[in-house]
Amino acid sequence: ELNTELFRELENGRIARLMLKLGAINERQEFEGDRSWSENGERYMLKLFRDYVFHQVDSNGNPVLDIGHMMRCLSRLDAGTDERICLTSRDEQTSFLISYKELKKQLGNAFGELQKGSKQG
Amino acid sequence: MDGDWDEVSRIPFPPPGVHAMPTPVTTKTFDTSQELLWTGNDYGRVTSFMGSELQRYTSFKAHLIPDGPVRQILVNDKGVVVLGSKDFHMALRRGTPLWHIRHDEMKDLRCMSFTSKGTAEVIVAGLQDMMLVIDLNKGEVVKQVPTEYQYSIMKRGRYICAATKSGSVNLLDPVSFAVVKTWNAHSALINDMDAQHDFIVTCGYSLRQGQNYMLDPFLNVFDIKQMSSMPPIPFPAGAAYVRMHPRMLTTSIVVSQTGQMHVVDLMNPNTSNVRQANVLTYLDMFEIASSGEAMALTDPECYIHLWGSHSKLHFVDLPTPIEFATPEEPMPPIEWTQDTPLNSIGLPYYREVLASAWPDMVSDVGAPPTRFDVQFINSLKPTDFGLYGRNTRGFRRNQAEDTRNVNKSANAGLKAPKFLSEKARESATHDAK
Repeated sequence: ELNTELFRELENGRIARLMLKLGAINERQEFEGDRSWSENGERYMLKLFRDYVFHQVDSNGNPVLDIGHMMRCLSRLDAGTDERICLTSRDEQTSFLISYKELKKQLGNAFGELQKGSKQG
Repeated sequence: MDGDWDEVSRIPFPPPGVHAMPTPVTTKTFDTSQELLWTGNDYGRVTSFMGSELQRYTSFKAHLIPDGPVRQILVNDKGVVVLGSKDFHMALRRGTPLWHIRHDEMKDLRCMSFTSKGTAEVIVAGLQDMMLVIDLNKGEVVKQVPTEYQYSIMKRGRYICAATKSGSVNLLDPVSFAVVKTWNAHSALINDMDAQHDFIVTCGYSLRQGQNYMLDPFLNVFDIKQMSSMPPIPFPAGAAYVRMHPRMLTTSIVVSQTGQMHVVDLMNPNTSNVRQANVLTYLDMFEIASSGEAMALTDPECYIHLWGSHSKLHFVDLPTPIEFATPEEPMPPIEWTQDTPLNSIGLPYYREVLASAWPDMVSDVGAPPTRFDVQFINSLKPTDFGLYGRNTRGFRRNQAEDTRNVNKSANAGLKAPKFLSEKARESATHDAK
């Protein structure tokens, strides 16, 4: 009983920390115009991943709010598994196949870059 | 060549946007290790198609739209190498970018070729006076080679064969990039060229009656072993495109603009095998797969035609499997209530540090809230949702402030108005901290 409660809180903390990282990275104004975030840059995938996880829609284009999907994606990103997902740009012209492992690495690089620029890091 | 060659599939090339007009293919190449055909368009976009059905696989932007068309695509074991006029992009076959180079000496690039180092290095050239050597493993320019010739097509045979814009072909040493021999192939310009084994073959134009560019009604052949040109091979329909057959070392396939295809043995030009491609207008490109068992043609109506034998069409002899998204195994549905713990999903097995691990950082949590000076608050307009107005506080948007600063908080609310210069100095010291 106590263990279940403990694991549960551990999990919540883990997810919260991951979300905090994603939140700190995505859509920063100072990255606008930065090549590595543009459509042919290596960080573009992190943008598309955010859409993949949180902006899921059904066949009619209505939002799908499936906590299960979001949690599964975040857990896989957290662990950096070898599974591959297909990320598609908003204009549906670009499609990438990328593994969670590669995404995790990009997340780490992007966060590391923020840290380098921050006073505390 | 087999008798059962025919058009196997024909697909429209995808337009650059959902409601956009289609655009023709600007360059294409068959993959050498997977069943893929790579294409580039006018908008810097690269799209790959799978197998004999030409099913769409991945698609990505190699460079930005103002930088013009994709000039050439090469593949190696790591991924695809894409040449634009002003930049150079390398990506995995799955579309993920590896690196991108923009260099001051990249002004109007047109063509590239692998060098003496297998597929680990390329040389890029164009309508400019500098060639650049790029290491594909490191993703950097390793050498700059000045050139007095400007090149539009390059093919790697025994030498790097480079077509100039005036109709001649230079044979470059693949190590030193020095011109070993110049061959005047056509009087006006070269339209297409291929090199393999001992031969270079070219199609080109000459000026007729001093004003019209006309396709020459022959194929020019150069023998690398003898270092001399061979008698041209007649092609009355006007030779527009040519490829050497990758398996039959003395055989080449010549195509006219109207779609007439001849399979010719260079050693025995009198026996030829003729086919006609169904094109409504004319052809604007032609490519053959490394297996010799597939050919792709494109036309200005933006169609890609795939030719081959219905029974055994393939691009590569021993293809490595194409990587797809991992299939999702069905999950038991979870009903999410207020009390469902988030760990009902669970974490996959892992051995490395999780992405959610935060670095050690000191976090300040108990600081008093930011105070705003009266002057700023008075400058805002009240509405039913709050106050609004310009940011005149001398701070950046979302700037973190040290509200523990005793001096400042003691004076807060009583501060005399500041001159702009004082505000600027204050924000400058803030930034420096």
